[in-house]
Amino acid sequence: MNNDFKNGFLANIPIGISVFAYGSVLGVLCTQKGIALYELALMNIFIFAGSAQFVMVDMWSSSLDILSITLAALLINLRYFLVGASLNPLFVNSSKKDKFKYIHFATDESWAITMQRLKHEQITPLFLFGGGLCIFFTWFFGTVLGFYLGEFISNPAKYGLDFAFVAIFFALALSMFKGKEDLIPWLVTALVAVLLEYFLEGKLYIVIAAIAGSFCAVLTNKEKENG
Amino acid sequence: MAEVSINSLLLILLVAVGTYSLRVSGLLLSSKFVKDEGSLKVFLEHLPSTLLLALVVPSILKEGVVGIVASLVIVALMYKTKNILLSMLVAVLIVALSRNFF
Repeated sequence: MNNDFKNGFLANIPIGISVFAYGSVLGVLCTQKGIALYELALMNIFIFAGSAQFVMVDMWSSSLDILSITLAALLINLRYFLVGASLNPLFVNSSKKDKFKYIHFATDESWAITMQRLKHEQITPLFLFGGGLCIFFTWFFGTVLGFYLGEFISNPAKYGLDFAFVAIFFALALSMFKGKEDLIPWLVTALVAVLLEYFLEGKLYIVIAAIAGSFCAVLTNKEKENG
Repeated sequence: MAEVSINSLLLILLVAVGTYSLRVSGLLLSSKFVKDEGSLKVFLEHLPSTLLLALVVPSILKEGVVGIVASLVIVALMYKTKNILLSMLVAVLIVALSRNFF
């Protein structure tokens, strides 16, 4: 049991290093937006969702548009509904209390690592919790470091730091490649995402494209079974 | 200067409650119908990768040729080494170099 916590924590350290890196990018952006350290800390603790925090910080201004920012952030986080749903196999033997406790620690990273591990090992929700805590600390310290470095790095994009986020998520997705049968669903996902991102306001395209791609996987899977 | 802003606290509270609700409801609602081994399982199995792809593909294309080159390098490195961090570092380096020298 305790081993799962430790293993989860350790398994997330490599990704945690990059989380630290782009956390520091967010910290830098916060100083440029005039966001206070306690506001950053509250977001880290209670929202704990990197991409949504990036969008919030991006939309932040002296006259806060609470409605728009909330909607934008929650639309990005709609995928956490799907993340929660996909974690069901991990929690089959868990109490409701454990579900309420540990699900907050499902981030893109800790969840991806957990799903990866779940494929060939029996693990408990403690693995997710340990991993989530690892991501939490690296994220937290990364953002705080960036917050203080903010005055020195005037242009993080110059160092490609904004691309770290894209690169890590792309590499993570590739690590889940199971074989040729994934190609068509992935292409559909990419195509739908690009088209909808262009035509739709906001971030809903992420959720729709993922649903379209996964649905496509169901269809190709059926075809394979029948053929 | 560090005067507490009610508006920003309200914003953070709203997003925090909403995000937690999404996480919890996904987990709780799924257990009602995920027990079967059929299509829903295939669907859920593919969500991790498709969500991540949907998140990044538009950003890669917006980065232009460099974004595509960096992504192809990630594909090659992941295929050869399966090392996520190494792939990320090389990709970031490519983007940084291109922004500074080209």
